[in-house]
Amino acid sequence: MSNVTDNQRLYQEREKRVHDAISLQKPDRVPIVTLTEFFFLRAAGITAAEGMYDYQKMSTAWKASMKRFNWDMAPLQHAIRPGPVMEMLGLKMLKWPGYNLGENQYYQYVEKEYMLEDEYDEFLRDPSDFIIRKVLPRYAEIFEPLQRVPSFVNWGAGYAILPLVGMFGSIPPIVEMMDSIKAVGQEYAKWNAVQSQLIDDLQNMGYPVLTRVLSVTAFDWISDFLRGMKGSMLDMRRQPDKLKAAVEILEPLTIQLPIMMAAITGTKRVYIPLHRGARGFMSDAQYAEFYWPGLKKLLVALIEAGLTPLPFFEGDYTPRLHYLAELPPGKIMAHFDSVDRQKFKEVLGDTLCFWGNVSAQLLCTGTPQQVKDEVKELIDLFADSGGLIVDASSTGPPPEAKPENVEAMTETVFEYGKY
Amino acid sequence: MDELVRSVVALNEKEVHALTDQLLGDGASPMVVLDAYRQGMVEVGRLFEKEEYFLPELIHAGELLRMAAEKIKPLLGKADGGGAKRGKAVIGTVEGDIHDIGKDIVILMLSVNGYDVVDLGVDVPIKKFVEAAEDFQPHVIGLSGFLTSTYDPMKFTIEALDDRGLRDGIKIMIGGGQMDNQICEYVGADAYGKDAIQAVTFCDQWLHGTR
Repeated sequence: MSNVTDNQRLYQEREKRVHDAISLQKPDRVPIVTLTEFFFLRAAGITAAEGMYDYQKMSTAWKASMKRFNWDMAPLQHAIRPGPVMEMLGLKMLKWPGYNLGENQYYQYVEKEYMLEDEYDEFLRDPSDFIIRKVLPRYAEIFEPLQRVPSFVNWGAGYAILPLVGMFGSIPPIVEMMDSIKAVGQEYAKWNAVQSQLIDDLQNMGYPVLTRVLSVTAFDWISDFLRGMKGSMLDMRRQPDKLKAAVEILEPLTIQLPIMMAAITGTKRVYIPLHRGARGFMSDAQYAEFYWPGLKKLLVALIEAGLTPLPFFEGDYTPRLHYLAELPPGKIMAHFDSVDRQKFKEVLGDTLCFWGNVSAQLLCTGTPQQVKDEVKELIDLFADSGGLIVDASSTGPPPEAKPENVEAMTETVFEYGKY
Repeated sequence: MDELVRSVVALNEKEVHALTDQLLGDGASPMVVLDAYRQGMVEVGRLFEKEEYFLPELIHAGELLRMAAEKIKPLLGKADGGGAKRGKAVIGTVEGDIHDIGKDIVILMLSVNGYDVVDLGVDVPIKKFVEAAEDFQPHVIGLSGFLTSTYDPMKFTIEALDDRGLRDGIKIMIGGGQMDNQICEYVGADAYGKDAIQAVTFCDQWLHGTR
């Protein structure tokens, strides 16, 4: 059928276009690929809560928006998480629409110390035990019973396995927990089936999916998800050695999991949101000591495993550009937020593909003409090199972006972006 | 006392605690001791502005001040109101957003710089800002927002103040991760500040014509 062949051809063209830009070779046209999340739902006329609770509605909306904007790859949809699964887990570290936020508000992480300042020794001695019996109960109600069981290491003491497993399998709260986990799995499988079908549908429509795999850098893991921002920054000053030791424990995990998930999903691109390294968050010396080593190890290891990292350098990364110059050239699709574009071009034009950074503020409050002018300026800057992929400065156009502005951004890339 | 100020600025925690206990033990006025911390914080703010200190140092300094306040507040008499205030401010993170770290640092820096600040918290409905404006009669309102979803709540908050005839008597500043001068214009605020030190600068300029 010629329709299928057309879409297959388009699929290959789009993959090649993006791949060429990443390897700093001029593609036929500047690609446009975004990290958009709830904007895609809003543009298709459904609410954030609907997207998270009605799996089919989300899928239909995603395809409608994909058709409308016709970008070179389908955006990441990991942010449109299954609300029912989150409720069943009793997640405490997120708030989300349709549950404890308004219908059209997007999810927010509950910033808190899920690991306390005096718990580094416990974590360092046995990270698994600490996560399982201390952190998981703080993250999710379903895991609260784990606080009261002895360490699982004891199961490896020969005869002890009998009473310990026996107890574990018979204490009512634990049995309930295991039943709940099974139910979570069943609901998650329902959602995952719809997601897998969506990915197939998008590919049949001719659109490669940007990625299905995420990772984080070790410092952010601690700062975002364990100690919180305040906690981790106090740790930099008060217990730097323990913080660094914790970072080193997590580094291999940040590498191993995405490699495994990439193999399972057949994806080569790995998305890595980065939150804490930008201007103002720490000094250059602190970046060099606490942040850069783990991030560099992660990026290099993924490249060596044949994968393409997609780091999102949130904030103003201008002061850190000289670090990024250490990275292997032509292997990374690097998303920038607010950064000095000229400085980027000077320092990193031969190293990284620049992904971004059309002002999110402009997309929300500006006019289509202003957006057109901004996109043209961006395209002109990289016209000689080919290492540009267009997106908004934030994680794709935000939900409040005016659709006509996003259309203007898209049209300008198509009309003005040919090499 | 100078030594204490220097230790606070240097964020030398051991020395800060030792000196504090020593001074209080020797009968120094608790108010004066707390004021030394404040002076130290103001200097920390200057170092942050010069990009010699960064967020970890601001947070550490804030933590030292918090610990001192905990120790010293019980020792203060009712008369120790903290001296004349340089102005009144109301700060909050607008409706739909629960981010608070930046807001808290702004409140900290305004407080140590002599401002009387009311913290409305996070996810603050428009109504609450209007009520606070009426009840507390601040000179300045600070609207904090990290997410792009806060643009319209900020705009509507400012419009609501205008509807009540309160807008003209109050200066409004915005701040947060996805804010900039364009958004300042869009929402109808008077200024956008990229960090807590700028917040202090605006208040000083508006209310005292100085910096």
